[in-house]
Amino acid sequence: MDFLKDIFKDIIDKLNTALIVEGRWKMLLGGLGNTLVIAFFALIIGVILGIIVAVIKVAASMNKKSKILAVLDFLSNIYINLIRGTPVVVQLMIMYYVILVSTTNSVLVAIISFGLNSGAYVAEIMRAGIQAVDKGQTEAGRSLGLSSLVTMKEIVLPQAIKNILPALANEFITLLKETSIAGYVAISDLTKAGDRIRYSTYDPFTALLIVAGIYLVLVLGLARLFSMLERRLRRSENR
Amino acid sequence: MKTDNITNGEVLIKTIGLHKSFGSNHVLKGIDEEILKGEKVVIIGPSGSGKSTFLRSLNLLEEPSAGEIWFDGECITDRKCNVDRVRTKMGMVFQHFNLFPHLTIRRNITLAPVKLGLMDEEAANANADRLLIRVGLLEKAESYPGQLSGGQKQRIAIVRSLAMNPKVMLFDEPTSALDPEMVGEVLDVMKELANEGMTMVVVTHEMGFAREVGTRILFMDEGIILEQNTPKEFFANPRQKRTIEFLSKVL
Ligand SMILES: Nc1ncnc2c1ncn2[C@@H]1O[C@H](COP(=O)(O)OP(=O)(O)OP(=O)(O)O)[C@@H](O)[C@H]1O
Ligand SMILES: [Mg+2]
Repeated sequence: MDFLKDIFKDIIDKLNTALIVEGRWKMLLGGLGNTLVIAFFALIIGVILGIIVAVIKVAASMNKKSKILAVLDFLSNIYINLIRGTPVVVQLMIMYYVILVSTTNSVLVAIISFGLNSGAYVAEIMRAGIQAVDKGQTEAGRSLGLSSLVTMKEIVLPQAIKNILPALANEFITLLKETSIAGYVAISDLTKAGDRIRYSTYDPFTALLIVAGIYLVLVLGLARLFSMLERRLRRSENR
Repeated sequence: MKTDNITNGEVLIKTIGLHKSFGSNHVLKGIDEEILKGEKVVIIGPSGSGKSTFLRSLNLLEEPSAGEIWFDGECITDRKCNVDRVRTKMGMVFQHFNLFPHLTIRRNITLAPVKLGLMDEEAANANADRLLIRVGLLEKAESYPGQLSGGQKQRIAIVRSLAMNPKVMLFDEPTSALDPEMVGEVLDVMKELANEGMTMVVVTHEMGFAREVGTRILFMDEGIILEQNTPKEFFANPRQKRTIEFLSKVL
Protein backbone atom coordinates (compact mmCIF):
# COMPACT_ATOMS: atom_id res chain seq x y z
CA MET A 1 0.00 0.00 0.00
CA ASP A 2 2.77 2.39 0.89
CA PHE A 3 4.28 1.73 -2.47
CA LEU A 4 1.11 2.89 -4.27
CA LYS A 5 0.87 5.88 -1.98
CA ASP A 6 4.40 6.92 -2.92
CA ILE A 7 3.65 6.72 -6.61
CA PHE A 8 0.48 8.70 -6.16
CA LYS A 9 2.28 11.36 -4.17
CA ASP A 10 4.98 11.50 -6.79
CA ILE A 11 2.44 12.08 -9.54
CA ILE A 12 0.70 14.81 -7.61
CA ASP A 13 4.06 16.41 -6.97
CA LYS A 14 5.03 16.39 -10.59
CA LEU A 15 1.69 17.73 -11.73
CA ASN A 16 1.95 20.41 -9.11
CA THR A 17 5.36 21.44 -10.34
CA ALA A 18 4.34 21.37 -13.97
CA LEU A 19 1.04 23.18 -13.57
CA ILE A 20 0.62 25.07 -10.32
CA VAL A 21 4.07 26.26 -9.28
CA GLU A 22 4.77 29.76 -10.65
CA GLY A 23 1.30 29.68 -12.24
CA ARG A 24 2.56 27.55 -15.12
CA TRP A 25 -0.98 26.48 -16.07
CA LYS A 26 -1.53 30.04 -17.28
CA MET A 27 1.21 29.50 -19.82
CA LEU A 28 -0.46 26.30 -21.02
CA LEU A 29 -3.83 27.98 -21.19
CA GLY A 30 -2.38 30.84 -23.19
CA GLY A 31 -0.71 28.35 -25.52
CA LEU A 32 -3.94 26.41 -25.93
CA GLY A 33 -5.71 29.65 -26.72
CA ASN A 34 -3.24 30.48 -29.48
CA THR A 35 -3.46 26.98 -30.90
CA LEU A 36 -7.25 27.15 -31.02
CA VAL A 37 -7.29 30.65 -32.52
CA ILE A 38 -4.80 29.69 -35.23
CA ALA A 39 -6.55 26.42 -36.05
CA PHE A 40 -10.03 27.95 -36.07
CA PHE A 41 -9.30 30.93 -38.29
CA ALA A 42 -7.00 28.92 -40.56
CA LEU A 43 -9.85 26.47 -40.95
CA ILE A 44 -12.22 29.21 -42.03
CA ILE A 45 -9.72 30.58 -44.54
CA GLY A 46 -8.99 27.04 -45.72
CA VAL A 47 -12.64 26.18 -46.27
CA ILE A 48 -13.45 29.41 -48.11
CA LEU A 49 -10.34 29.16 -50.26
CA GLY A 50 -10.95 25.45 -50.80
CA ILE A 51 -14.51 26.01 -51.99
CA ILE A 52 -13.43 28.75 -54.40
CA VAL A 53 -10.61 26.68 -55.89
CA ALA A 54 -12.78 23.54 -56.10
CA VAL A 55 -15.55 25.47 -57.86
CA ILE A 56 -13.01 26.86 -60.35
CA LYS A 57 -11.60 23.42 -61.06
CA VAL A 58 -14.99 21.73 -61.43
CA ALA A 59 -16.36 24.56 -63.57
CA ALA A 60 -13.26 24.48 -65.77
CA SER A 61 -13.58 20.75 -66.30
CA MET A 62 -17.25 21.10 -67.28
CA ASN A 63 -16.72 24.12 -69.48
CA LYS A 64 -13.59 23.50 -71.49
CA LYS A 65 -14.16 26.43 -73.83
CA SER A 66 -13.96 29.29 -71.37
CA LYS A 67 -10.58 31.04 -71.52
CA ILE A 68 -11.04 32.76 -68.15
CA LEU A 69 -11.76 29.45 -66.44
CA ALA A 70 -8.75 27.89 -68.12
CA VAL A 71 -6.48 30.61 -66.72
CA LEU A 72 -8.02 30.34 -63.25
CA ASP A 73 -7.69 26.57 -63.40
CA PHE A 74 -4.03 26.93 -64.32
CA LEU A 75 -3.40 29.26 -61.39
CA SER A 76 -5.28 26.90 -59.07
CA ASN A 77 -3.05 24.05 -60.14
CA ILE A 78 0.09 26.08 -59.42
CA TYR A 79 -1.28 26.93 -55.97
CA ILE A 80 -2.21 23.33 -55.16
CA ASN A 81 1.11 21.96 -56.36
CA LEU A 82 3.17 24.55 -54.50
CA ILE A 83 1.33 23.90 -51.25
CA ARG A 84 1.24 20.12 -51.52
CA GLY A 85 4.78 19.94 -52.81
CA THR A 86 6.49 21.72 -49.90
CA PRO A 87 6.57 21.08 -46.14
CA VAL A 88 4.21 23.19 -44.10
CA VAL A 89 7.06 24.28 -41.78
CA VAL A 90 8.91 25.73 -44.72
CA GLN A 91 5.76 27.50 -45.90
CA LEU A 92 5.28 28.97 -42.45
CA MET A 93 8.85 30.23 -42.27
CA ILE A 94 8.73 31.69 -45.78
CA MET A 95 5.58 33.51 -44.78
CA TYR A 96 7.15 34.78 -41.53
CA TYR A 97 10.66 35.62 -42.67
CA VAL A 98 10.04 36.64 -46.27
CA ILE A 99 6.53 37.44 -47.47
CA LEU A 100 5.02 38.91 -44.33
CA VAL A 101 8.27 39.96 -42.70
CA SER A 102 6.90 43.45 -41.99
CA THR A 103 3.99 42.05 -39.95
CA THR A 104 4.58 42.02 -36.19
CA ASN A 105 1.55 39.87 -35.38
CA SER A 106 2.98 36.38 -35.68
CA VAL A 107 -0.33 34.69 -34.84
CA LEU A 108 -1.83 36.41 -37.86
CA VAL A 109 1.05 35.15 -39.99
CA ALA A 110 0.40 31.63 -38.75
CA ILE A 111 -3.33 31.91 -39.47
CA ILE A 112 -2.67 33.04 -43.04
CA SER A 113 0.01 30.43 -43.60
CA PHE A 114 -2.01 27.50 -42.24
CA GLY A 115 -5.13 28.81 -43.99
CA LEU A 116 -3.35 28.87 -47.35
CA ASN A 117 -2.01 25.40 -46.69
CA SER A 118 -5.35 23.95 -45.70
CA GLY A 119 -7.12 25.56 -48.66
CA ALA A 120 -5.17 23.46 -51.13
CA TYR A 121 -6.10 20.22 -49.39
CA VAL A 122 -9.73 21.21 -48.86
CA ALA A 123 -9.95 22.13 -52.56
CA GLU A 124 -8.70 18.73 -53.63
CA ILE A 125 -11.03 16.95 -51.21
CA MET A 126 -14.03 18.85 -52.52
CA ARG A 127 -13.10 18.53 -56.18
CA ALA A 128 -12.62 14.79 -55.83
CA GLY A 129 -15.88 14.47 -53.89
CA ILE A 130 -17.85 16.33 -56.53
CA GLN A 131 -16.28 14.50 -59.44
CA ALA A 132 -16.89 11.15 -57.79
CA VAL A 133 -20.63 11.66 -58.23
CA ASP A 134 -21.79 9.65 -61.26
CA LYS A 135 -21.86 11.71 -64.46
CA GLY A 136 -25.29 10.26 -65.18
CA GLN A 137 -26.68 12.32 -62.30
CA THR A 138 -25.64 15.56 -63.99
CA GLU A 139 -26.93 14.31 -67.32
CA ALA A 140 -30.30 13.42 -65.82
CA GLY A 141 -30.58 16.85 -64.21
CA ARG A 142 -29.58 18.70 -67.36
CA SER A 143 -31.84 16.60 -69.58
CA LEU A 144 -34.79 17.70 -67.43
CA GLY A 145 -33.94 21.28 -68.30
CA LEU A 146 -32.26 22.22 -65.02
CA SER A 147 -29.37 24.67 -65.34
CA SER A 148 -25.87 23.52 -64.47
CA LEU A 149 -26.03 25.61 -61.29
CA VAL A 150 -29.32 24.12 -60.07
CA THR A 151 -28.13 20.64 -61.04
CA MET A 152 -24.98 21.19 -59.01
CA LYS A 153 -26.88 22.52 -56.00
CA GLU A 154 -29.85 20.14 -55.91
CA ILE A 155 -28.38 16.94 -57.31
CA VAL A 156 -24.58 16.77 -57.26
CA LEU A 157 -23.56 18.59 -54.06
CA PRO A 158 -25.97 16.74 -51.72
CA GLN A 159 -24.41 13.49 -52.93
CA ALA A 160 -20.86 14.85 -52.90
CA ILE A 161 -21.13 15.89 -49.25
CA LYS A 162 -21.12 12.26 -48.26
CA ASN A 163 -17.81 11.69 -50.06
CA ILE A 164 -16.37 14.93 -48.75
CA LEU A 165 -17.21 14.94 -45.07
CA PRO A 166 -14.97 12.11 -43.80
CA ALA A 167 -11.93 13.41 -45.70
CA LEU A 168 -12.66 16.92 -44.51
CA ALA A 169 -12.75 15.74 -40.90
CA ASN A 170 -9.32 14.25 -41.41
CA GLU A 171 -8.03 17.48 -42.88
CA PHE A 172 -9.31 19.50 -39.90
CA ILE A 173 -7.67 17.14 -37.47
CA THR A 174 -4.40 17.30 -39.39
CA LEU A 175 -4.60 21.08 -39.42
CA LEU A 176 -5.10 21.24 -35.65
CA LYS A 177 -2.09 19.04 -35.05
CA GLU A 178 0.06 20.82 -37.61
CA THR A 179 -0.31 24.11 -35.77
CA SER A 180 2.11 22.59 -33.26
CA ILE A 181 4.93 23.88 -35.43
CA ALA A 182 3.88 27.48 -34.77
CA GLY A 183 6.77 27.66 -32.26
CA TYR A 184 9.12 27.89 -35.25
CA VAL A 185 8.03 31.48 -35.73
CA ALA A 186 8.07 32.49 -32.07
CA ILE A 187 4.44 31.82 -31.25
CA SER A 188 3.56 30.48 -27.80
CA ASP A 189 1.16 27.79 -28.86
CA LEU A 190 0.28 24.73 -26.83
CA THR A 191 3.39 22.79 -27.85
CA LYS A 192 5.67 25.75 -27.18
CA ALA A 193 4.11 26.28 -23.76
CA GLY A 194 4.81 22.64 -22.99
CA ASP A 195 8.41 23.21 -24.08
CA ARG A 196 8.80 26.11 -21.69
CA ILE A 197 7.45 24.05 -18.81
CA ARG A 198 9.79 21.24 -19.75
CA TYR A 199 12.78 23.57 -19.57
CA SER A 200 11.87 25.14 -16.26
CA THR A 201 10.85 21.92 -14.46
CA TYR A 202 13.54 19.61 -15.85
CA ASP A 203 10.73 17.04 -16.12
CA PRO A 204 10.06 16.40 -19.81
CA PHE A 205 7.81 13.42 -19.19
CA THR A 206 5.06 15.25 -17.32
CA ALA A 207 5.11 18.33 -19.52
CA LEU A 208 4.92 16.38 -22.75
CA LEU A 209 2.29 14.04 -21.39
CA ILE A 210 0.05 16.94 -20.44
CA VAL A 211 0.46 18.54 -23.88
CA ALA A 212 -0.20 15.26 -25.66
CA GLY A 213 -3.27 14.70 -23.49
CA ILE A 214 -4.75 18.06 -24.40
CA TYR A 215 -4.20 17.49 -28.15
CA LEU A 216 -5.76 14.06 -27.83
CA VAL A 217 -8.88 15.43 -26.16
CA LEU A 218 -9.23 18.13 -28.84
CA VAL A 219 -8.81 15.67 -31.70
CA LEU A 220 -11.17 13.09 -30.25
CA GLY A 221 -13.75 15.82 -29.65
CA LEU A 222 -13.44 16.98 -33.25
CA ALA A 223 -13.70 13.43 -34.58
CA ARG A 224 -16.78 12.85 -32.44
CA LEU A 225 -18.41 16.01 -33.78
CA PHE A 226 -17.86 14.89 -37.35
CA SER A 227 -19.11 11.36 -36.87
CA MET A 228 -22.28 12.81 -35.35
CA LEU A 229 -22.66 15.04 -38.40
CA GLU A 230 -22.15 12.13 -40.75
CA ARG A 231 -24.66 10.01 -38.94
CA ARG A 232 -27.24 12.77 -39.14
CA LEU A 233 -26.60 13.14 -42.85
CA ARG A 234 -26.96 9.45 -43.42
CA ARG A 235 -30.16 9.29 -41.43
CA SER A 236 -31.76 12.10 -43.41
CA GLU A 237 -31.33 10.34 -46.73
CA ASN A 238 -30.55 7.20 -48.63
CA ARG A 239 -32.44 4.76 -46.49
CA MET B 1 -53.15 1.43 -85.91
CA LYS B 2 -49.45 2.15 -85.80
CA THR B 3 -49.35 5.06 -88.20
CA ASP B 4 -52.70 6.50 -87.13
CA ASN B 5 -51.34 8.95 -84.64
CA ILE B 6 -48.61 10.44 -86.79
CA THR B 7 -50.03 13.92 -86.98
CA ASN B 8 -50.25 14.87 -90.64
CA GLY B 9 -46.53 14.71 -91.33
CA GLU B 10 -45.47 17.64 -89.17
CA VAL B 11 -41.70 17.63 -88.57
CA LEU B 12 -40.71 17.66 -84.90
CA ILE B 13 -36.96 17.02 -85.10
CA LYS B 14 -34.69 17.60 -88.03
CA THR B 15 -30.94 17.14 -88.26
CA ILE B 16 -28.93 18.63 -91.10
CA GLY B 17 -25.40 17.43 -91.82
CA LEU B 18 -24.90 16.36 -88.21
CA HIS B 19 -21.29 15.51 -87.35
CA LYS B 20 -19.73 14.63 -84.02
CA SER B 21 -16.10 13.90 -83.21
CA PHE B 22 -14.52 13.02 -79.91
CA GLY B 23 -10.99 14.24 -80.46
CA SER B 24 -9.82 12.39 -83.55
CA ASN B 25 -12.63 9.83 -83.31
CA HIS B 26 -15.18 10.81 -85.96
CA VAL B 27 -18.35 9.23 -84.57
CA LEU B 28 -21.24 10.83 -86.48
CA LYS B 29 -20.50 11.38 -90.15
CA GLY B 30 -23.23 13.57 -91.49
CA ILE B 31 -26.75 12.62 -90.49
CA ASP B 32 -29.72 14.17 -92.26
CA GLU B 33 -32.90 12.96 -90.70
CA GLU B 34 -36.45 14.08 -90.01
CA ILE B 35 -38.61 12.80 -87.22
CA LEU B 36 -42.32 13.54 -87.50
CA LYS B 37 -44.75 14.17 -84.69
CA GLY B 38 -46.17 10.90 -83.42
CA GLU B 39 -43.48 8.73 -84.99
CA LYS B 40 -41.87 5.94 -83.01
CA VAL B 41 -38.41 5.75 -84.47
CA VAL B 42 -36.32 2.79 -83.40
CA ILE B 43 -32.55 3.00 -83.86
CA ILE B 44 -30.56 -0.20 -84.06
CA GLY B 45 -27.03 -1.02 -85.08
CA PRO B 46 -23.80 -2.56 -83.91
CA SER B 47 -22.00 -1.41 -80.79
CA GLY B 48 -19.98 1.76 -81.30
CA SER B 49 -21.89 2.77 -84.42
CA GLY B 50 -22.94 6.06 -82.82
CA LYS B 51 -26.54 5.33 -81.75
CA SER B 52 -26.17 6.83 -78.28
CA THR B 53 -24.16 9.74 -79.59
CA PHE B 54 -26.86 10.51 -82.16
CA LEU B 55 -29.64 10.28 -79.58
CA ARG B 56 -27.73 12.38 -77.05
CA SER B 57 -27.04 15.00 -79.72
CA LEU B 58 -30.78 15.52 -80.18
CA ASN B 59 -31.10 17.13 -76.73
CA LEU B 60 -27.55 18.48 -76.90
CA LEU B 61 -26.11 16.32 -74.15
CA GLU B 62 -23.47 15.91 -76.82
CA GLU B 63 -22.63 19.10 -78.62
CA PRO B 64 -22.47 18.52 -82.37
CA SER B 65 -19.16 19.30 -84.06
CA ALA B 66 -20.96 20.44 -87.17
CA GLY B 67 -24.45 20.62 -88.59
CA GLU B 68 -27.82 21.81 -87.36
CA ILE B 69 -30.57 20.38 -85.23
CA TRP B 70 -34.09 21.76 -85.44
CA PHE B 71 -36.72 21.02 -82.83
CA ASP B 72 -40.31 22.17 -83.09
CA GLY B 73 -39.44 24.80 -85.68
CA GLU B 74 -36.44 26.20 -83.82
CA CYS B 75 -32.75 25.79 -84.59
CA ILE B 76 -31.49 24.54 -81.23
CA THR B 77 -27.84 24.43 -82.29
CA ASP B 78 -28.03 28.19 -82.71
CA ARG B 79 -25.88 30.05 -80.17
CA LYS B 80 -28.81 32.18 -79.05
CA CYS B 81 -31.05 29.20 -78.32
CA ASN B 82 -31.78 28.54 -74.65
CA VAL B 83 -30.86 24.89 -74.37
CA ASP B 84 -32.35 24.44 -70.88
CA ARG B 85 -35.77 25.56 -72.10
CA VAL B 86 -35.61 23.23 -75.11
CA ARG B 87 -34.68 20.28 -72.91
CA THR B 88 -37.79 20.65 -70.80
CA LYS B 89 -39.71 19.55 -73.90
CA MET B 90 -37.48 16.54 -74.64
CA GLY B 91 -37.64 13.73 -72.14
CA MET B 92 -34.71 11.35 -71.88
CA VAL B 93 -34.51 7.90 -70.35
CA PHE B 94 -31.09 6.38 -69.69
CA GLN B 95 -29.86 2.83 -69.64
CA HIS B 96 -28.84 3.18 -65.98
CA PHE B 97 -31.99 5.07 -64.88
CA ASN B 98 -30.02 7.88 -63.22
CA LEU B 99 -32.63 8.47 -60.54
CA PHE B 100 -31.51 10.85 -57.81
CA PRO B 101 -30.62 8.54 -54.91
CA HIS B 102 -30.84 11.23 -52.22
CA LEU B 103 -34.42 12.18 -53.06
CA THR B 104 -37.69 10.32 -52.57
CA ILE B 105 -39.45 8.98 -55.65
CA ARG B 106 -41.97 11.80 -55.36
CA ARG B 107 -39.21 14.40 -55.15
CA ASN B 108 -37.40 12.79 -58.10
CA ILE B 109 -40.52 13.48 -60.14
CA THR B 110 -41.37 16.94 -58.84
CA LEU B 111 -37.87 18.46 -58.56
CA ALA B 112 -37.58 19.78 -62.11
CA PRO B 113 -41.15 21.08 -62.57
CA VAL B 114 -40.96 22.89 -59.22
CA LYS B 115 -37.42 24.25 -59.56
CA LEU B 116 -38.18 25.50 -63.05
CA GLY B 117 -41.32 27.23 -61.81
CA LEU B 118 -43.61 25.27 -64.14
CA MET B 119 -45.81 24.07 -61.28
CA ASP B 120 -46.17 24.85 -57.62
CA GLU B 121 -45.40 22.13 -55.09
CA GLU B 122 -49.01 21.10 -54.75
CA ALA B 123 -49.75 20.82 -58.46
CA ALA B 124 -46.48 18.95 -59.00
CA ASN B 125 -47.37 16.47 -56.27
CA ALA B 126 -50.81 15.88 -57.72
CA ASN B 127 -49.25 15.37 -61.13
CA ALA B 128 -46.70 12.95 -59.67
CA ASP B 129 -49.48 10.94 -58.01
CA ARG B 130 -51.40 10.74 -61.26
CA LEU B 131 -48.31 9.49 -63.12
CA LEU B 132 -47.38 7.05 -60.35
CA ILE B 133 -50.86 5.54 -60.42
CA ARG B 134 -50.49 5.13 -64.14
CA VAL B 135 -47.38 2.95 -63.76
CA GLY B 136 -48.76 1.26 -60.64
CA LEU B 137 -46.13 2.60 -58.27
CA LEU B 138 -48.05 5.07 -56.13
CA GLU B 139 -47.21 3.19 -52.95
CA LYS B 140 -43.50 3.89 -53.66
CA ALA B 141 -43.95 7.66 -53.61
CA GLU B 142 -42.11 8.14 -50.33
CA SER B 143 -39.49 5.45 -50.95
CA TYR B 144 -35.96 6.10 -52.11
CA PRO B 145 -34.54 4.79 -55.42
CA GLY B 146 -32.28 2.39 -53.53
CA GLN B 147 -35.35 0.53 -52.34
CA LEU B 148 -36.69 -0.19 -55.83
CA SER B 149 -36.04 -2.97 -58.32
CA GLY B 150 -34.46 -2.14 -61.67
CA GLY B 151 -37.75 -2.35 -63.49
CA GLN B 152 -39.43 -0.09 -60.97
CA LYS B 153 -36.56 2.39 -61.22
CA GLN B 154 -36.87 2.60 -64.97
CA ARG B 155 -40.64 3.09 -64.80
CA ILE B 156 -40.01 5.94 -62.36
CA ALA B 157 -37.37 7.39 -64.68
CA ILE B 158 -39.93 7.40 -67.49
CA VAL B 159 -42.48 9.03 -65.23
CA ARG B 160 -39.94 11.66 -64.14
CA SER B 161 -39.49 12.70 -67.77
CA LEU B 162 -43.22 12.61 -68.45
CA ALA B 163 -43.83 15.02 -65.57
CA MET B 164 -42.37 17.74 -67.79
CA ASN B 165 -45.00 17.13 -70.50
CA PRO B 166 -42.36 16.58 -73.18
CA LYS B 167 -43.08 16.64 -76.90
CA VAL B 168 -40.73 13.76 -77.54
CA MET B 169 -39.21 10.99 -75.45
CA LEU B 170 -35.69 9.77 -76.13
CA PHE B 171 -34.77 6.31 -74.86
CA ASP B 172 -31.19 5.00 -74.79
CA GLU B 173 -31.33 1.23 -74.30
CA PRO B 174 -33.90 1.53 -71.52
CA THR B 175 -34.04 -2.21 -70.85
CA SER B 176 -30.40 -3.20 -71.33
CA ALA B 177 -29.47 -2.93 -67.66
CA LEU B 178 -32.50 -4.90 -66.46
CA ASP B 179 -32.81 -8.49 -65.37
CA PRO B 180 -34.76 -10.34 -68.06
CA GLU B 181 -37.89 -10.73 -65.94
CA MET B 182 -38.17 -6.95 -65.58
CA VAL B 183 -37.87 -6.04 -69.24
CA GLY B 184 -41.56 -6.62 -69.90
CA GLU B 185 -42.91 -4.17 -67.35
CA VAL B 186 -40.80 -1.34 -68.80
CA LEU B 187 -41.66 -2.18 -72.40
CA ASP B 188 -45.34 -2.21 -71.43
CA VAL B 189 -45.12 1.34 -70.15
CA MET B 190 -43.37 2.36 -73.36
CA LYS B 191 -46.01 0.68 -75.49
CA GLU B 192 -48.74 2.49 -73.62
CA LEU B 193 -46.93 5.75 -74.18
CA ALA B 194 -46.64 4.94 -77.87
CA ASN B 195 -50.34 4.22 -78.11
CA GLU B 196 -51.14 7.58 -76.59
CA GLY B 197 -49.38 9.24 -79.50
CA MET B 198 -46.10 10.26 -77.88
CA THR B 199 -43.29 10.88 -80.35
CA MET B 200 -40.52 8.46 -79.43
CA VAL B 201 -36.94 7.84 -80.47
CA VAL B 202 -35.70 4.57 -79.05
CA VAL B 203 -32.26 2.98 -79.18
CA THR B 204 -32.78 -0.67 -78.31
CA HIS B 205 -31.75 -4.25 -78.87
CA GLU B 206 -35.34 -5.43 -78.32
CA MET B 207 -36.22 -6.44 -81.86
CA GLY B 208 -39.69 -7.54 -80.76
CA PHE B 209 -40.40 -4.04 -79.52
CA ALA B 210 -38.96 -2.52 -82.69
CA ARG B 211 -41.23 -4.66 -84.84
CA GLU B 212 -44.35 -4.19 -82.76
CA VAL B 213 -44.16 -0.56 -81.71
CA GLY B 214 -41.78 1.10 -84.18
CA THR B 215 -43.15 3.04 -87.11
CA ARG B 216 -39.71 3.30 -88.66
CA ILE B 217 -36.40 1.56 -88.13
CA LEU B 218 -33.09 3.34 -88.58
CA PHE B 219 -30.05 1.12 -88.97
CA MET B 220 -26.86 2.92 -87.95
CA ASP B 221 -23.43 1.76 -88.95
CA GLU B 222 -20.13 3.59 -88.55
CA GLY B 223 -21.66 6.98 -87.93
CA ILE B 224 -24.26 7.08 -90.68
CA ILE B 225 -27.80 5.88 -91.11
CA LEU B 226 -27.08 3.11 -93.54
CA GLU B 227 -30.61 1.92 -94.13
CA GLN B 228 -34.13 2.70 -92.96
CA ASN B 229 -37.59 1.36 -93.51
CA THR B 230 -40.87 0.41 -91.93
CA PRO B 231 -40.36 -2.45 -89.49
CA LYS B 232 -42.16 -4.89 -91.71
CA GLU B 233 -40.07 -4.11 -94.76
CA PHE B 234 -36.89 -3.69 -92.80
CA PHE B 235 -36.97 -7.11 -91.19
CA ALA B 236 -38.41 -8.88 -94.27
CA ASN B 237 -36.15 -7.32 -96.91
CA PRO B 238 -32.98 -5.79 -95.54
CA ARG B 239 -31.02 -4.41 -98.48
CA GLN B 240 -27.51 -3.62 -97.26
CA LYS B 241 -24.96 -6.33 -96.63
CA ARG B 242 -24.09 -4.87 -93.21
CA THR B 243 -27.77 -4.84 -92.25
CA ILE B 244 -28.21 -8.44 -93.19
CA GLU B 245 -25.09 -9.36 -91.24
CA PHE B 246 -26.32 -7.49 -88.19
CA LEU B 247 -29.81 -8.96 -88.32
CA SER B 248 -28.46 -12.47 -88.67
CA LYS B 249 -26.66 -11.93 -85.37
CA VAL B 250 -29.49 -10.44 -83.35
CA LEU B 251 -32.55 -12.28 -84.66
N1 LIG C 1 -17.87 10.98 -74.20
C1 LIG C 1 -17.13 10.34 -75.12
N2 LIG C 1 -15.82 10.61 -75.24
C2 LIG C 1 -15.06 9.99 -76.16
N3 LIG C 1 -15.53 9.06 -77.02
C3 LIG C 1 -16.82 8.73 -76.95
C4 LIG C 1 -17.70 9.36 -76.00
N4 LIG C 1 -18.94 8.83 -76.16
C5 LIG C 1 -18.83 7.94 -77.16
N5 LIG C 1 -17.58 7.87 -77.66
C6 LIG C 1 -17.13 7.02 -78.77
O1 LIG C 1 -18.02 7.19 -79.82
C7 LIG C 1 -18.25 5.98 -80.50
C8 LIG C 1 -19.73 5.72 -80.59
O2 LIG C 1 -20.24 5.55 -79.29
P1 LIG C 1 -21.79 5.38 -79.01
O3 LIG C 1 -21.92 5.27 -77.54
O4 LIG C 1 -22.56 6.44 -79.68
O5 LIG C 1 -22.10 3.98 -79.68
P2 LIG C 1 -23.41 3.09 -79.59
O6 LIG C 1 -23.85 2.85 -80.98
O7 LIG C 1 -24.38 3.73 -78.68
O8 LIG C 1 -22.85 1.75 -78.98
P3 LIG C 1 -23.48 0.76 -77.89
O9 LIG C 1 -24.44 -0.13 -78.62
O10 LIG C 1 -22.31 0.00 -77.38
O11 LIG C 1 -24.15 1.60 -76.85
C9 LIG C 1 -17.47 4.91 -79.75
O12 LIG C 1 -16.28 4.69 -80.42
C10 LIG C 1 -17.19 5.56 -78.43
O13 LIG C 1 -15.99 5.11 -77.90
MG1 LIG D 1 -25.11 3.26 -76.73
